[in-house]
Amino acid sequence: MIDDSKPIFMQIAELIENGIVDGSMAEESQVPSTNEFAAFHRINPATAAKGVNVLVDSGILYKRRGIGMFVATGARSQLVARRTEEFFEQYVKPLALEARKLGISAEQLNTMIERSSGLVPEPGTDKERSAAL
Amino acid sequence: MNDTIVEARNLIKHYKDLNALDNVNLSLSANRIYGLLGRNGAGKTTLMSVLTAQAFATSGEALVFGANAYENDAVLSRICFIRESQKYPDDFQPRHAFRSAALFYKNWDQGLADRLAADFQLPVKRRIKKLSRGQLSAVGVIIGLASRAELTFFDEPYLGLDAVARQLFYDRLVEDYAEHPRTIILSSHLIDEVANLLEHVVVIDRGRIIMDADAEEIRGSAVTVSGSAEKVDAFLAGRKILHRETLGSLASVTVDESLGSRERAEAQELGLELSPVSLQQLVVRKTMAGAGGAGHTAGTGDFSDDTLEARR
Amino acid sequence: MSRTVAVARMQLINKWTYIGWPLTILLASFLMSLAIFALIPVQEGKYGGGSQAPMWYFLVLGIQSMTLVFPFSQGLSISRRAFYLGTLSLFSLIAVGMTGLYLLGGVIEKATNGWGVYGYFFSIPWVTDGPWYSTAAFFFVVMMFMFIIGFWFATIFKRWGTSGTLVSTLGSAVVLIGLAALTTLLEWWGYVGAWFAQQTPLSISGWAALLCVVLAAGSYSTLRRATP
Repeated sequence: MIDDSKPIFMQIAELIENGIVDGSMAEESQVPSTNEFAAFHRINPATAAKGVNVLVDSGILYKRRGIGMFVATGARSQLVARRTEEFFEQYVKPLALEARKLGISAEQLNTMIERSSGLVPEPGTDKERSAAL
Repeated sequence: MNDTIVEARNLIKHYKDLNALDNVNLSLSANRIYGLLGRNGAGKTTLMSVLTAQAFATSGEALVFGANAYENDAVLSRICFIRESQKYPDDFQPRHAFRSAALFYKNWDQGLADRLAADFQLPVKRRIKKLSRGQLSAVGVIIGLASRAELTFFDEPYLGLDAVARQLFYDRLVEDYAEHPRTIILSSHLIDEVANLLEHVVVIDRGRIIMDADAEEIRGSAVTVSGSAEKVDAFLAGRKILHRETLGSLASVTVDESLGSRERAEAQELGLELSPVSLQQLVVRKTMAGAGGAGHTAGTGDFSDDTLEARR
Repeated sequence: MSRTVAVARMQLINKWTYIGWPLTILLASFLMSLAIFALIPVQEGKYGGGSQAPMWYFLVLGIQSMTLVFPFSQGLSISRRAFYLGTLSLFSLIAVGMTGLYLLGGVIEKATNGWGVYGYFFSIPWVTDGPWYSTAAFFFVVMMFMFIIGFWFATIFKRWGTSGTLVSTLGSAVVLIGLAALTTLLEWWGYVGAWFAQQTPLSISGWAALLCVVLAAGSYSTLRRATP
């Protein structure tokens, strides 16, 4: 799960974010402790703590003294909003740019997107496939 | 929390015709896991021996907890350094060694030692000199972990341990460290296995420190670009190249720099493939770059390859 | 100080090394000597050298404590001073205990007329002829001497390797031969003989004790710079 492409603390933060976005970590539920993250991913506890702290700083998680870390109310919508913005920057903008180069109209583009959504498998089956790999 | 507990200044250790330590300067902070990485014979064990006053530097200064460890009980009682070739009294069994350690380490945890011995399936009532290489390593690992010394050195603790036992060691290390933070120095040449456990990395090569950085800074600090040689070279012109490999008209070049998102996009447009560089690959590249570009002929060198193992 | 005591305790964790084996060797040697004495059909005092057997084991102990226990003590971050004092104190205690055993053996031996077979294991002519404290001093010093000699040579070996051991052995031999040659040249053998004739077990113990102190001090100063 952890790879060498970027700092581990960022990967830990992303893993937690993914859990919140896909609903497996509900708002106001407790997230595992940094030591549990460290043991599970076999990483340095300080690194795991750094990843968690990134999310605390951005208000996604909050600390209950003596109990642990919890997902903040509104965390999911905050993440979805941010990721939608990132999605626009990373994918839609280059898509639109390329489409303009090729002279594809907005209408044609919409049709293509609709056609492609039929090709994308359900998230569940996608997971199974990657697990099988 | 981040007090300096080890400070080496201009350490030189000179053997007959070899500089085992060549002007080493190093500063280590409390409560971190350090990786002391390098090839066999690079000076890892010598450095640890000098720091713990088991060996003597030719010149320079080594301070641990603010003082020289030599004959200093106040400092020594906080250190544990079981070396890779550790010797034990002739009649000793593992349980005797553990009871000995219990006499000298105030934080010794006998329960932990017992659990670890069971985990490693160590025959605690067999004479140590009759143990296999892996079981001998397990004895050292158990003393190192159960001593809970503020400054604990592990000197290539995996020798002779199979993959399962090594993973067991890494898991127990992370678990116990999380509950009882202390300074751990893990000397290793199996870098891939320990990379994720390390907070800070010190690489030593022929007695010199060639890398001293936080593991997270190193991660992603280098990248390998591969594709048509012409395009790769044009794309990377003027950059700090660590390693270059060619196969026909294809090239795979590692640069000691990270690429921004614009550069990544550019590379993608050119049809170049970007791949991350693991800590192990980076250390190998840097070590070989230091050896005067020997990396070009040595191919994909690996620290744990047979030639290196065979030299032991 | 507590770490010095701990060094001694550490070496008693396996009771065999310092207690079990010396006693076993002593007992085995005693029983064997007794069997031999019983087989010799002579109705007068029979003396055997069997009681020296544990002494040779002490030589081995001295060597091993330097070659194996010292490196182990370094692994547990024990200072060289604590290791040295602890090991030597422990050995002194063992030597005191063994000396007591030899004295006791000697008393019983005399009382039972050589265990009923006229066999003398603990009594040695000349050595045990004097008062009890002279006998005790002799045994104690000899045990210490064996241990320290072993320790000393192992220290030399650890510090300077095979060549160092060779040089120091040859060096000692050359000095002894040189002294002998000088004595011959100056025709002093008569004086030397007279000097030896004057010695008692107690005075010999004194000289040996002096040598022990010199060697012990020498091994400490060597150990101070030894590496495991």
